[in-house]
Amino acid sequence: MFIVNYIKEVFGALKSLAVGLRRTMFYFTHHKEIITEQYPDNRATLKMSDRFKGEVVMPHDEKNEHRCTGCTACEVACPNGTIKIITKFEVNAEGKKKKAIDKFVYHLELCTMCNLCITACPSDAIKMAQTFEHSVFDRSHLTKVLNKPDSKIMEGVE
Amino acid sequence: MNGSTIIFYMLAALILGSGFLSVTTRQIFRAAIFLLFSLIGVAGMYFWMDYEFIAAVQIVVYVGGITVLIIFSIFLTQQAGEKLPEQSMSRMLFAALAAFCGFALILLQIAKHTFTNSTTTITAPTVENIGNEMLGVNKGGMALPFEVVSVLLLAALVGCIVIALRQKTQQTN
Amino acid sequence: MWSISNIANWVNEWLGKNFSAAWVTVFEMVIAGILVISLFAVLGLILVIMERKVSAWMQIRLGPNRVGPKGLLQSAADTVKLLVKEAMTPNGADKFLFNLAPYLAIVVSMLLMAPIAFAKDFMLWDLNIGVLYVSAISSVSVISILMAGWASNNKYSLMGAMRSGAQIVSYELSAGLAILSIVVLTGSLNMNDIIRSQADGWWIFKGHFPVWISFIIFLIAITAETNRAPFDLAEAESELTAGFHTEYSGMKFALFFLAEYVNVFIVCAIGATLFLGGWMPFHIGHWEGFNHIMDFIPSSLWFFGKTFFLIFLIMWFRWTFPRLRIDQLLNLEWKYLLPIGMINLLLVTAMAILKWHF
Repeated sequence: MFIVNYIKEVFGALKSLAVGLRRTMFYFTHHKEIITEQYPDNRATLKMSDRFKGEVVMPHDEKNEHRCTGCTACEVACPNGTIKIITKFEVNAEGKKKKAIDKFVYHLELCTMCNLCITACPSDAIKMAQTFEHSVFDRSHLTKVLNKPDSKIMEGVE
Repeated sequence: MNGSTIIFYMLAALILGSGFLSVTTRQIFRAAIFLLFSLIGVAGMYFWMDYEFIAAVQIVVYVGGITVLIIFSIFLTQQAGEKLPEQSMSRMLFAALAAFCGFALILLQIAKHTFTNSTTTITAPTVENIGNEMLGVNKGGMALPFEVVSVLLLAALVGCIVIALRQKTQQTN
Repeated sequence: MWSISNIANWVNEWLGKNFSAAWVTVFEMVIAGILVISLFAVLGLILVIMERKVSAWMQIRLGPNRVGPKGLLQSAADTVKLLVKEAMTPNGADKFLFNLAPYLAIVVSMLLMAPIAFAKDFMLWDLNIGVLYVSAISSVSVISILMAGWASNNKYSLMGAMRSGAQIVSYELSAGLAILSIVVLTGSLNMNDIIRSQADGWWIFKGHFPVWISFIIFLIAITAETNRAPFDLAEAESELTAGFHTEYSGMKFALFFLAEYVNVFIVCAIGATLFLGGWMPFHIGHWEGFNHIMDFIPSSLWFFGKTFFLIFLIMWFRWTFPRLRIDQLLNLEWKYLLPIGMINLLLVTAMAILKWHF
């Protein structure tokens, strides 16, 4: 019946409005729920969440060794040409030529932090760091060489 | 000349000045706004006479109702900001003549008429008195005209609804 | 006892001793004008910072927190910014009306201040028709919006003006009906009479559920009349950039902004006067001790407390509900609020005749 529906509608509307009002009042009275980070002030205690991806880095151990074989899987996987690997041939102790990286060039300004290179890497040589203060005065600073000078590939990584 | 007279002349200047501008301006929206100021001036005149109720009703009906309606119809019909064409000389002349004749007629009537003091007892224009008079059924009560007017308005309302309804059914067909 | 009305009387006496009657009137008008303007400024500052803080807390944010202690001086900084900004007039605009519109808006809000009783025996104009005066003058405010929208010569402005015109004109009706229900119970349009009739209990307590219904209708209608969310179609920033004040900048924009906030204050003051007893303290039946303690709180504090409670309610609505579409807006008014309001008015009238209220 029309009139019953009408009254039902009015009361239903009031009820749903009350539900909304209750939610906002809960937040209004519970200031501990506030999730805003006071960024430059809390820089020392800032906690980044686990899944935040800031920049591709190549970890080196204390003997200045990395795990990158120069297979260019990451370069192929990258959707917008962020990674460029320059390889060289090294002669090892047995006199055999072996492919190794000369420079792992990473263009931070092109990177979209899509994580495809990290999943593509067969030897876990690169990973995502959580740094985020990337602003510099010259764009050329954003082109980085990830392997440290005179670094070598780790023993046993093929 | 005391303060009250100064206020009267200021209000009169507002009414006449904005009324004059309202007819002479060539932008229709400005004309509506000047008309609005003229009507506000009339309301101010009622306030000046301490007829607060009439003043408030003047504002509700003319300023808040009719002028808004006029502005709405301008919005819906007129091209924005376009000036109306200049009137031809003969038209202006005849309009001025007609206005002058009307003015002269009224002036003549006022000059002829002898104003006598009203003998009826004056009731204070408070809301209570107005309400009692409006719905009074005694001698001089206005209950019957009030009801007749309200029936007329009701008929108008019903008519509006009927017109609106018919259009809707045609659309669905 | 110390009160605002005593100060006002003291000023009046002091002026009367030193000047002739005509000059006393002139001086008092000037003082009242200055007081109203400074109240405007203070209200603007307080309401803007209050709105920003309330909105932030409701959205789990912090809100302004840089300027001054806890960001409380933020609105002062904003005011300075608006004052030094260039007030532009667009080329195709109707310059006269474009510049007139913000002043009309602010003048209307100033006029509305007149019949409000800020404290016991303290108001600018003890008007015979106080409530009618308020609803009459507030209907003029739509003109300034229409004027601004048209004069800007901008499609967004014009659309915003049209929407707000339709909105204000229709919601005035239900606001009027809600006000009328209290007028029926009190039998007077005078603000002082209405407040005095609530000495033994505010109407919201005395009036049972018909008054609650009118209170809810009144709240909805004033939210719509002051163009605030969820009824902010006139300036719907996601659809119309800023609606009728798209082209305004600097101080002219600030005047619109100020007028909006002052209008919120005024309608809430009217609501507090009609439903919550104005400056009347909160009394419970025959608890003499409790009532006495309540009397000790100054009447102006009661008034401002109630008004700010209603303002908070309206802000709460704004930051909870999504914006309505124009057809939903008009449906709500013409299919729900108006019929319910009319039936409710009948109920209230029956209640007033049969003396069912306390």
